[in-house]
Amino acid sequence: MPVLPWLRSTFHSLTKQERVDRDLDEELEAYLDLLVDEKVQQVMSREAALREARIELGGTEQVKQQVRETRAGTWLDTLIRDVRLAARTLRKNPGFTVVAVLVLALGIGATTALFSTVSAALLSQLPFQQPDRLIAGFKTYDGVRAGPVSRLDYYDYRELANSFEHLAAMADITMEQTLTGEGHAEIVDSGFVTWNLFPALGVTPVVGRPFMEDEDEGGAGVALISHDFWKSRFGGSSDAVGKILRLDGEPTTIVGVMPEGFQVLLDVDLWRLVDREGPFDLQRDSHSHLLVGRLAPGVSLQQAQLEVSTISRSLEEQYPVSNESKGLALTGLHDAMVAKVRLSLLMLMATGVLVLFIASSNVAGLLLARGHRRLPEIATRIALGAPRRRLIRQLLTESVIVSLLAGLLGVGVAFGFHRLLLRALPIGELGIGFASIDQRALVFALFLSIATGLVVGVIPALRATTVDPSLYLKSGPQHSQDARSSRLWSGLVIVQVAVSTLLLVGSALLISNLVELATTDLGFESANLLTGSVSIPEVKYPSPAERNEFFRSLLEQIEAIPGVESASMVNKLPISSPWQNWAVWPAGQERPAHDDLQSAMARWVPPGYFRTMEMPLLQGRDIDMTDDRDSPRVLVITESVARKLFPGRNPIGESVIVGSTDWPPHEVIGMVADARVNQVFLGPDPAMYMSTYQLAPRQMQLAVRTASDPLLLEESISRIVREMDEDVLLADPRTLQSVVDRSMAGFSVVTLSSGVFSAIALALAAIGLYGLLAHAVNQRLNEIGIRLAMGATRGDLLRMVLKRGLILVGFGLLLGAAGALMVTLALQRLPFEAQTVSAASYLGATLVLALVAASACFLPAWRATRVSPIDVLRQE
Amino acid sequence: MGATKADLLRGTLDMLILKTLALAPLHGLGISRRIDQVTEGVFQVKPGSLFPALHRLEERGWIQGDWGESENNRRAKYYQLTRAGRRRLGEEKENWTQVVVAITKLLEAS
Repeated sequence: MPVLPWLRSTFHSLTKQERVDRDLDEELEAYLDLLVDEKVQQVMSREAALREARIELGGTEQVKQQVRETRAGTWLDTLIRDVRLAARTLRKNPGFTVVAVLVLALGIGATTALFSTVSAALLSQLPFQQPDRLIAGFKTYDGVRAGPVSRLDYYDYRELANSFEHLAAMADITMEQTLTGEGHAEIVDSGFVTWNLFPALGVTPVVGRPFMEDEDEGGAGVALISHDFWKSRFGGSSDAVGKILRLDGEPTTIVGVMPEGFQVLLDVDLWRLVDREGPFDLQRDSHSHLLVGRLAPGVSLQQAQLEVSTISRSLEEQYPVSNESKGLALTGLHDAMVAKVRLSLLMLMATGVLVLFIASSNVAGLLLARGHRRLPEIATRIALGAPRRRLIRQLLTESVIVSLLAGLLGVGVAFGFHRLLLRALPIGELGIGFASIDQRALVFALFLSIATGLVVGVIPALRATTVDPSLYLKSGPQHSQDARSSRLWSGLVIVQVAVSTLLLVGSALLISNLVELATTDLGFESANLLTGSVSIPEVKYPSPAERNEFFRSLLEQIEAIPGVESASMVNKLPISSPWQNWAVWPAGQERPAHDDLQSAMARWVPPGYFRTMEMPLLQGRDIDMTDDRDSPRVLVITESVARKLFPGRNPIGESVIVGSTDWPPHEVIGMVADARVNQVFLGPDPAMYMSTYQLAPRQMQLAVRTASDPLLLEESISRIVREMDEDVLLADPRTLQSVVDRSMAGFSVVTLSSGVFSAIALALAAIGLYGLLAHAVNQRLNEIGIRLAMGATRGDLLRMVLKRGLILVGFGLLLGAAGALMVTLALQRLPFEAQTVSAASYLGATLVLALVAASACFLPAWRATRVSPIDVLRQE
Repeated sequence: MGATKADLLRGTLDMLILKTLALAPLHGLGISRRIDQVTEGVFQVKPGSLFPALHRLEERGWIQGDWGESENNRRAKYYQLTRAGRRRLGEEKENWTQVVVAITKLLEAS
């Protein structure tokens, strides 16, 4: 069709509607005149001719309507008319409109808020070139993913595999280093990467040069700095490149500045090269590197996986001691980054969709009832010749307008949910987009609203327009029609009750888990504990004695501060610095095979650490000041390690090998209770504690037990550290409680959100139940009046209405409880401590629902008893 | 062809109207009568389909309607073919012939 005339006509018929209509009128009139003339010529009286002509012409209005419908722009015109009529009808029924809009707004709002969260986390793209070609690699044991990879294994994979354009590695933790030299001393976070990490991601420095391949051996003493650090330390000056930084005393040259906002997996101030001789993974059974790679062109993830699996097997043969059963699993980089939150998010999303479902079925119920009340109007329209299609369209326009209004309000609701709850969700790793109600979410809300309006409206509209006008107009209300609609509505209410039971049980389970977690004994006391880390430059403290003296004196001075109960330190604090598990086995035995090998978190502490952390010493003695470099190595193990290594025996006095046979054996001198060292959610971890003064490290984490708020002492402790050496700083001061709380934050938010959504679902189901019963009572006013007149007591009536409601509730509860069992099974797959089906949660949720439902039934029932038989019968 | 009497294919009706107007401008009733005559009563075009078709054709710029006087001095809207309409008629005829040939072939093939 030529576009221009069509456009012109559309415009024409919209603007010149009146004129065109008049023109058509005249034309039809002329047509009639001509027809009459024709008949008169066939020798007919003028009256007879007129009559015949009218019959032949048919209804003028119908012809006019048919012409209007062929006109371009009619659809717009019809739409405008439909919308006007719908708006008028809705304005006349403010009660219905307000309830329907509010109910749908809750559903659409919840779903939109969750969609924005889920889409930010799961659907976003990483900000790198061709992000779908990026992969991450994790070590596996017997095919089960088990964390980071050994650096030595990595070099073999990189050398042997052809599937990658680049295969890079980075240390899985950052290192806090003290920066001294030019300007003020400060703590910086260093990340350690291989030279090819940046080429793999397709990122180049904005100033200076990248790392070079020939620097990969390490020891080049070069660093790339982050954009933020460049701004804060050097004010964004290009002189920064070439400057020499002293990191823990080692000179390091800045060679370039990375682009603004660039970070990968870990948040760092600067990147240094993984050193072949460096601090991480000197052995194949030490694992602390994350692999990031880019697939070679044309190679699929599966092909790459096949290749690395082959390499894994040859490594197993080559290094049976360290690599038995060990493999490498590849996944998309983005998948790896969101793996932890995926299930929780999808579960929340499902909750939101269920809330929307309840809201929609609720409004569908309201529309059914409304359709019934409008039967006279609809019957009249049909009798006047309105086609069914037009009526359905009209009714659907109404429900879509309701849902669009709801969508508008729902966006506000979504903002609310977002601000209150979802923003607190710690979503995945760095680089995953943060959720916000953005354009995408708004478009989603718009489509969701329209779809909801159509879905909600379609059955009531079909139902309402099946009325036979002749039957309806002749007699009174059609009860068969009502019975069908109300059966449908009852079905909807049962489903609502069932779904909200399911949601309630689900969130009751989550809540009971959260309570359990919050009251779990971690195995140490996290309250009133200030932590921070201190590292001293090796160049200033080259000998072990000097380093030991520094830390010993530091603890002594901190303990002298008023308000400090005790001060201690450890190489890795619980929860905030997890992992570092080393093998341990009884001395005099061969190193056990992989399956029988016991490993424990390796920690080194000074005397008094267990007292400070309030970890009970079960047997033997604590580490002592005399356990120094000149005396035999000592070790305190946890109960589970003792049980595993020396079943049924007293472990005290036994000799064990820690990590490698290159090290002297350690004598077990004490046993402490197991504690949660790695994660709040998992059970207690096996651990072993060496004497820090026998190892003389240059970096330790402080743990200071205080009498009151630990943060009040942060100043004094920082000052003491600086006073001891101006090149040393207290890094990352915080309370251990805050670390514990943060690690539970994700679970708390998921629980709280699902609690809120379930409460909304419950309220909606109650509204649905109430609406249905109130409508039923209204429909049966006559019957109720007659029953009263015949001597039924008010109690009888109350029972009659209540019974109907409670039967619906009963069905819904049964269905919902069955569904809840399935939800429970899904919940057990969440990355939180697996929970069994708790009878208390089921009972609690069911009880709450029954109570709320009963009150929703009671109101209409009570109203039934207030009916005055005289009034009702008189109306008849 | 009993069934098509009642419901003329839309495209066919457009073609018939264009063809009818190709000879001379006509008003609505005239068009309907001419089609009736020429097809010997096979196609009877009712106002309910005639007027929507006329408006459709006019909107597309294939015909143009102007008020004029009828033979017995009545005011009537006369439609005439535009240049575009004439081109369109040619295309429709060609399509039609192709369709007829194709269908005939199909029916005659045993």
